Amino acid sequence: MNSAPNGVWQKNPALAWREIDDETIIISPTESVMHELNDTGSFVWKKIDGRRTAADLAALLAENYEVTREVALADTTALLAELASRKLVVAADGEAH
Amino acid sequence: MSIGAVALNLSLEDEKLFASAEKRYAAFADRSEIGRPVDVVGECVRNGSESVFASDFESARVQVTANSVVFRGVKNEYALDSLMRMFLSWELLSHNGFLLHAASVLRSGRAYIFVGKSGAGKSTVASLSPAGSVLTDEISLLQRNNGEWRAFGTPFWGEFRAAGHNTSAPVAGVFQLKKARENRTKPLDGAALLRALLPNILFFSSKTEDHQRLLEIAGAASEEIAGHTLEFRKNRRFWEVLP
Repeated sequence: MNSAPNGVWQKNPALAWREIDDETIIISPTESVMHELNDTGSFVWKKIDGRRTAADLAALLAENYEVTREVALADTTALLAELASRKLVVAADGEAH
Repeated sequence: MSIGAVALNLSLEDEKLFASAEKRYAAFADRSEIGRPVDVVGECVRNGSESVFASDFESARVQVTANSVVFRGVKNEYALDSLMRMFLSWELLSHNGFLLHAASVLRSGRAYIFVGKSGAGKSTVASLSPAGSVLTDEISLLQRNNGEWRAFGTPFWGEFRAAGHNTSAPVAGVFQLKKARENRTKPLDGAALLRALLPNILFFSSKTEDHQRLLEIAGAASEEIAGHTLEFRKNRRFWEVLP
């Protein structure tokens, strides 16, 4: 259910991150790896709070960028799956993986 | 000794090591005996106290606890030099600064900082610069003081095989070196400069809060310092294209 619309994610608390211009740079201290998110990726990243579902995040994306809800949901679930595969987000408490 | 705005009061128990350190760091000696006490000892026994920072170089270890800084297992000047870099990289978090694998060259009273992958031309830039103008060809120290970014020399050697200069200058810009057929510069935005800086910053802590602090400092540097790529043909004329 990782990328399901009702999936809830939180930022991996072990990461350091910073916004700069319209991008977000994320560092994984244990792996010394740097990750980068573009404009829309940064928007979603900031909204990930351990409470919002993928569908909630997609709705916010659709409100702020000129995309339909369907496209926003597809983009958001794809982004969350990518972030999860890189261990940048983890399932929020109580969520099954 | 003082490196950048960081003052250290080193105590070495080994006389031979003291003599080599005195020579190696002569340009950075500060005999005022102020500064953070650092005990350099040969034995490796570890302090059971909880470390706020610790890092290893071979069998030597720097350990910072709430009330002490100890370099343990230091048998030679190379271990001492490595632990100094490790400690300074962490200590600079409290001084709005960081160590950068970069050459720094003085020109008209300002410091030009050159970063790049190994072989991109840092040493070449240093060798093509006038005698006495190279702040360091290996490890630069960048620090924000009173709203201004300054570059400091460090005693850490590169191919020049000579300690950097113990002086500082306001930063003119950071230049990411790329080999090319012609000398040309292009501006970098803040995000691109941060991406260029981060892989070249010396950092040894594995703690998230330390990395977060480093990101804040390096991010501020990237927003406040002019960044450029320098497409660089290895000749002296590159200075003509620098802004």
